[in-house]
Amino acid sequence: MTSPLPAVSARNLTLTLGTPAAPVEILRGIDLDVPTGEICALLGPSGSGKSSLMAVMSGLERASGGTLNVAGADFTMMDEDGLARARRGRIGIVLQAFHLLPTMTALENVATPMELAGEADAQERARQELVAVGLGHRLAHYPTQLSGGEQQRVAIARAIAPRPRLIFADEPTGNLDVATGHEIIELLFARRAETGATLFVITHDPELAERCGRVLTMADGRIASDRRA
Amino acid sequence: MNDNTLTWSQAWRIARRDLNARFRGLRLLVVCLFLGTAALAAIGTLTAAIEGELADRGQVILGGDLEIEVWQRSLNDEERAALAEYGTLSHGTRMQAMAVAGDAAAPVELKAVDTRWPLYGTLMLEGGRTAGAPTGNQAWLAQGAMDRLGISTGDRFRVGGAELVAAGIIADEPDRLSEGFQLGPTVIVAEDVPLRAGLIAPGAMYQSKTRVAFSPDVDPEVVEDELTERFPEAGFDFRSRDRASPGADRFVGRMGEFLTLVGLAALVIAGIGIGGGVTSYLEARRQSIATLKVLGATSADIARIYALQIGAAALAGTMAGLLVGVLVTPALAVALQGLLPVGTGVVIDPLALLLAAGFGLLIALVFAATPLVRARSFPAMALMRARISPLMRDRAALPWMLGGLAAIAVLVLATSREPLLAGGFLLGAAAVFGLLASLGTGIARLSARLPRPANPLVRNALANLHRPGAQTGALVTALGFGLSAFVLLAGIQSAIDGNIQRSVPAQAPDYFVLDVPRDRVTTFETLVRERHPEAEIRTVPALRGAVLAYGPEGAMTRVSELEEIPDGAWALRGERGLTYADALPEGNRLVQGTWWRAGHSGEPLVSVDEEFATAIDLKVGDKITVGVLGVERTARVANLRTIDWESMGFNYVLVFSANTLADAPHNLAATIDLPESGATGPLLRDLVRAFPSSSVIEVGGVLAEARTILGQVGIATFAAASVAVLAGLAVLIGAIAAARAARTNDTVVLRVLGASRGQILLMQLAEYALLAVVLAGVALLLGAGLAWAVITQLFEFDWLPDWGMMVAVLSGGLVFVVAVALAGSLPLLRAKPAQALRAL
Repeated sequence: MTSPLPAVSARNLTLTLGTPAAPVEILRGIDLDVPTGEICALLGPSGSGKSSLMAVMSGLERASGGTLNVAGADFTMMDEDGLARARRGRIGIVLQAFHLLPTMTALENVATPMELAGEADAQERARQELVAVGLGHRLAHYPTQLSGGEQQRVAIARAIAPRPRLIFADEPTGNLDVATGHEIIELLFARRAETGATLFVITHDPELAERCGRVLTMADGRIASDRRA
Repeated sequence: MNDNTLTWSQAWRIARRDLNARFRGLRLLVVCLFLGTAALAAIGTLTAAIEGELADRGQVILGGDLEIEVWQRSLNDEERAALAEYGTLSHGTRMQAMAVAGDAAAPVELKAVDTRWPLYGTLMLEGGRTAGAPTGNQAWLAQGAMDRLGISTGDRFRVGGAELVAAGIIADEPDRLSEGFQLGPTVIVAEDVPLRAGLIAPGAMYQSKTRVAFSPDVDPEVVEDELTERFPEAGFDFRSRDRASPGADRFVGRMGEFLTLVGLAALVIAGIGIGGGVTSYLEARRQSIATLKVLGATSADIARIYALQIGAAALAGTMAGLLVGVLVTPALAVALQGLLPVGTGVVIDPLALLLAAGFGLLIALVFAATPLVRARSFPAMALMRARISPLMRDRAALPWMLGGLAAIAVLVLATSREPLLAGGFLLGAAAVFGLLASLGTGIARLSARLPRPANPLVRNALANLHRPGAQTGALVTALGFGLSAFVLLAGIQSAIDGNIQRSVPAQAPDYFVLDVPRDRVTTFETLVRERHPEAEIRTVPALRGAVLAYGPEGAMTRVSELEEIPDGAWALRGERGLTYADALPEGNRLVQGTWWRAGHSGEPLVSVDEEFATAIDLKVGDKITVGVLGVERTARVANLRTIDWESMGFNYVLVFSANTLADAPHNLAATIDLPESGATGPLLRDLVRAFPSSSVIEVGGVLAEARTILGQVGIATFAAASVAVLAGLAVLIGAIAAARAARTNDTVVLRVLGASRGQILLMQLAEYALLAVVLAGVALLLGAGLAWAVITQLFEFDWLPDWGMMVAVLSGGLVFVVAVALAGSLPLLRAKPAQALRAL
């Protein structure tokens, strides 16, 4: 499933943090076009800006300058609430530390983004997605009752169930052992393939990077290299 | 895709998932609201129960549907016939008298009743038997009278010239409350006893009370109006079943309001705990809030979700408080039995409960608004960035806080019988809170600037007053208010008590003697001086009458035609004491006009209290008409004077020239001031034997009664103030809980460095002891300072507090605070260093 509009289109994107007296340039003029359906790996040493780039592209952080268009929405003109609304149904995020809501069951965690978006069949879709990730028997379990791998499966289901156009995964296997990490990556790629979403993965794993169609290497707040795998 | 904010039901679906069934994390909010609303509900319900009882039992309390009272005479035949047209009558007399049994003598309230008494209700005697009016020589006595006379049932005693038999002890007198304040225990006798005893002679000081039980559908107000019109100069004092005991009504109403205001202040303190609790709760949910935002929740969605959670907890705390407040009221009612009429069952007064709930929820709104509004702004990036820049102060909470405070103020003023007083209390409380908050902040800042002590315990204790996140300001405010209230109440009560004990007796005479026959005054003075040669005796003629008219000659205003009594003109209401004198009374000062010569025989003249004259715009040269024993007497105002009411002697608003009143039947009233040394028992016996129709009132006994009442009022107000201290303790516990992570960190590091549990406990003790010292200083300064202002400036009494009592009350409160604080810190001692380090 492709669309003529790019999934992400950024021009001279900058991000500056810190105080006016001591500003810190995190992103220094990023230009990027990512077509719909592409799988991109983001590589780079610690502090290179890859997490910040992902945060800006996913609407978690407002860019300081430049333009950014994500799935047809102009992110640079939106405030915090506008970005939250823009994420609904458009963007799914998987984080290294899972970040499930501790007081909700697996089913409720997966249903929540769809409920926030006002979808009437949120619970049923959540159930189906959990079954798809192999957790049909854990619907009523709380995060503390799940293993690390199971929690990350729930997180993947939560990200994918709303059928977003973009999925961002920030080191999704960082808190998992090697074997579980492989399973998670397989699951992520398989679920993405069913939906055709554009996928961004931050990783330190060169093998994983090569599985992605495109590898963007960050250095010092800029895209140092942009190559096809 | 829905870009709108979540509906309330959608928000509730998400909110309830995150809300623990036992409100974990919000327990401080629940407990604080529970305490505050329980106190308000109990106070409001009890007040309503008493007022309801007063209203429902009006006929029984009054002993009729209408009561007509006159002084120094009985109703004449025409008046009785007029009253009898409305229903059944019951006549009676009330007067001060002396009861004597052997060598014992006691002032009593003699209550003579006819055979129809009581028209409503039933007299209960000890032993469970009921009785009506006594007959012949029978008398029913209050237990206090039996004790003072040292007699038992069946024994004989005398009142005046009549010998009576103590036939029973009063257990429950149905119309006791309407009789008002009495200077002695009650003795109920047959209607003719005062006459037989020689107590009712022309000029004697007694009240005649006639009660009427109406035929159905007769309106007391209509009857009152008709009688006033028919007998405008009779000097009738009316009381109806709807206001059977205005004194009790006023007392209960004022006490209830005062306690409600104290309870509201306690609720405000609880609000500090609520604010702290909600802040901690939302801080702990920072990650969850950020996650929800990652998933697409806007700040409005977050506000709704967490407002619903906080609202649910607030509602639970409030409902629990209302329930306990209602259930505890019967226990309070049992404690009040015999003092005030109140049923012993469960009473549910919807208005009182609504008010308590309203105050509770508004306080929750005021104090939860700021942390809730701040939580809306928790950024989604909190999940990805370890360091988040601090949130800017968000003024969006201000309208909610101010709106909530305004609603509270409106509720208080709208439901208060004296809005000005209530408004003054609110302003005063706000000022005190502001002062305490400033003090708390100031103390924290000062502690940061002080040189660092060498002693590590003190150094640590001092540092914890100003460390980041320290809640010194909140604790000084919350605990300081409650402890200051304790000191304030102890100061006021002990100072008033001190005045009653020391200052009043120093100024007041030792005895008041009523109904001294004019023709035996010399015998009276001789008798007193035989026992106490240096006694100071003062006698004044004592009459009673009502002001009937006043004003310039030819344009006088008739009191009966006034639509309402002018402010400050209380002397126009009903009958009052009148007297005459040849000289300016002691303790009075002429401000206008001149005093008449001794033996003045010209136009009748009168001297008027300046304040009263101002209230009715009366001037020198105007006239006043009074009614004495049914006869009108008019006098010209010769002068105005000021009265020193603190002289505690006889003070009269109107003093006439002798030729105005001397021919009216009357007796004298006397005061006797004895030197400090000298037993007073023999004098009392001599007076009672020689003057059986006179009443001798020992001021000491009256003052003892006043101290007892003061003590009882004090218990009630201390109980209400205790809620404030409990709320402050809840804030303290909340502060300890909020700081637990940081304190655990400190404790673990100290343990790693070799500190023992005992040393850590000592550090905690030092810290809370320092806080206690700070609180003691604040509470003493503020509490004692306010008490001084109330006693010396408002009441104009001497400043005679019992410092021992004030310090004891404060110390008790502080010991409790430190104990609770240490108990709350004990879990820190159980932290195992290795385990905690892994978790950090």
